[in-house]
Amino acid sequence: MGRFKNNKKGRVNVKPIAKNNQANVDHVTGDKIPKSFVFSRTKLPGSVKQLQMDLRKLMLPYTALSLKEKKRNTLRDFLNVSGPMGVTHFLMLKKTASALSLRVARTPQGPTLTFKIHQYSLASDIAQSQTRPRCPPDLFKNPPLIVLSGFGTQELHLKLATIMFQNIFPAIDINTVKLSTCQRLVLLNYNKDTKLIDFRHYSIRLQPVGVSRKLRNFVQTHKAPDLRNLQDVSDFITKAGYGSESEGDEEAATVTLSSDLGRVNKGSTKSAVKLQEIGPRMTMQLVRVEEGLCSGGIIFSEDGNVDGKNKQDGDEEDAASEEESEEGEEGSEEDMDEDAED
Amino acid sequence: MSTGDETHTAVAERGTRKRRVGLKNGGKSKNKKQKTRPPSSDRFKLTQKKQKLFQKRARDYNSDEEDDESKKAPEVTIREKIFSDANMGPNYDEVEEEEDGSDKDENSDGEDHGEIQSGITRFAADDGCNAFKMAFKSIMKSKGDDALGPVLSAQKNLIAQKLSEEEAEKKAKGQARKAKYLVAEKGHVKPANHLESHEKVLIGVATKGVVKLFNAVNKAQHAQKGLNASRSKDAKVLKKRRKEAFFSELGKTPRSDSKAQKSSNSNEEEAPAWAPLRDNYMLANPKLKDWDKKQVTNEGDDFAAMSGDESYED
Repeated sequence: MGRFKNNKKGRVNVKPIAKNNQANVDHVTGDKIPKSFVFSRTKLPGSVKQLQMDLRKLMLPYTALSLKEKKRNTLRDFLNVSGPMGVTHFLMLKKTASALSLRVARTPQGPTLTFKIHQYSLASDIAQSQTRPRCPPDLFKNPPLIVLSGFGTQELHLKLATIMFQNIFPAIDINTVKLSTCQRLVLLNYNKDTKLIDFRHYSIRLQPVGVSRKLRNFVQTHKAPDLRNLQDVSDFITKAGYGSESEGDEEAATVTLSSDLGRVNKGSTKSAVKLQEIGPRMTMQLVRVEEGLCSGGIIFSEDGNVDGKNKQDGDEEDAASEEESEEGEEGSEEDMDEDAED
Repeated sequence: MSTGDETHTAVAERGTRKRRVGLKNGGKSKNKKQKTRPPSSDRFKLTQKKQKLFQKRARDYNSDEEDDESKKAPEVTIREKIFSDANMGPNYDEVEEEEDGSDKDENSDGEDHGEIQSGITRFAADDGCNAFKMAFKSIMKSKGDDALGPVLSAQKNLIAQKLSEEEAEKKAKGQARKAKYLVAEKGHVKPANHLESHEKVLIGVATKGVVKLFNAVNKAQHAQKGLNASRSKDAKVLKKRRKEAFFSELGKTPRSDSKAQKSSNSNEEEAPAWAPLRDNYMLANPKLKDWDKKQVTNEGDDFAAMSGDESYED
């Protein structure tokens, strides 16, 4: 047969990170590593485009950083591509005149959570507002940890949200995980009163505790200290400097490391965990949960009128969707249950 | 001769006009006219109007009648008058005298016309173009303060109108653009001050979570270090302890601050299907545990059986 010309009609111009062979299956846990696409089907104004880019960086390394979508690509195109590539989640941004919304969906036919973003700040804004923004070079090499707080286990839609977010990021195995790979943290904090979810993204830093600041700086930055006023070098080391005001906080945040983490943080000594905010900051509200991928029955809606009717269906569907997510990520349900027990 | 007498009388009666003394140049002018006529036809297009004019002149010249008013071309313009003024030559009066005499009864229009006619007649002379140029220049100089001049006042208004329209348009566009920008940026908040109180709370929450995780990891890995290569019994106990420890760590937190971190080790069923992938490969089975140690003989058979079994386990 002759070679057919590339029919570009309806083709998705998806340029994923196909070059590096990413593991589809985590070699330690055996679970499928969740991968994601962050995109939007509508045209986005400038700052929202940056937000999309920030979200992509957040989801690194298991996402397509330079994903290019065309206007004519429909959701179906993305679905078709996601199958062979093992993409499990879609994050879709959509800006209308009234609101900016983020949809988190599980492929291929998983539930869709729709969040309305009330406020957002870009990573560059946050970096500008800080005096010492920090971005070590390999910050995005490893997936982030996720901390969910305030969700509770009572309400169904919140439970679903918890599960969904847990499954977006790959699991870690506490026995084999190296703490040096945990460099980022995503926090989702639910506020019951206002029903708003705060979304924050931090970088984790460990600092040896109990060492005066001068020494610490010296060891970390290798800058020769100013010894003008000292009689002896020993003064430099033993002089009791004023504790920094954050040392009180550090007390609560001390960890004993199991192993060495770089030159400074030796194993079996106390280190403090310090978080610095990077990445976008969002305040969102869960407005809708749909059964299918942007389609299907509505399980939960913020408007409230569909809530009662679909409650029964919602339970069934929820169970179904939970089973689904179990296929890929085993034990998530059990995980939640055990937490509840404790 | 008769004409000459009449002109004299005309001169005598008209006292207001300029008069050149003692010029009897009727013949001269006549001659001039006759001389210059043929070359003029070469220069000018002989339009209908011009033709009429010439004919009239010829008539006027010959006759003394005064019924020329009706036939006079009404297209006398001020410009022509001015031209004729500007172009007054020495022969003006004389010519005028002749004609005025005939047209005296007519109103001033007639006189003007006569003057103009004479002016134009002179006009038709060889330096007509130059005359035009000079005349135009003099007009422009006197009235041309504006670049556009009075003639172009309509355009000036038009331009002013257009400018104001453009400005109005720009303003409208600017406002529309601003409105669009505001809608696009809706919700975009630039954090004014880093670390406000709410942020501090959030950071505290996150830090607590991380600390818990690291401690749990630490415990698990520390414990593991101690017991790992030892006997199988310990291995089992170790695993159980690990699981408990981890969840107790997490369970210590109050409800409102639950941390959900996936740990695949919490559940043995989660282990990968392929046996060697599991962490506890060859460690769980007590008989297999000590494969590198000296084998007891009867274990050799069991070994094969065991490994077979293990691969089918799930």
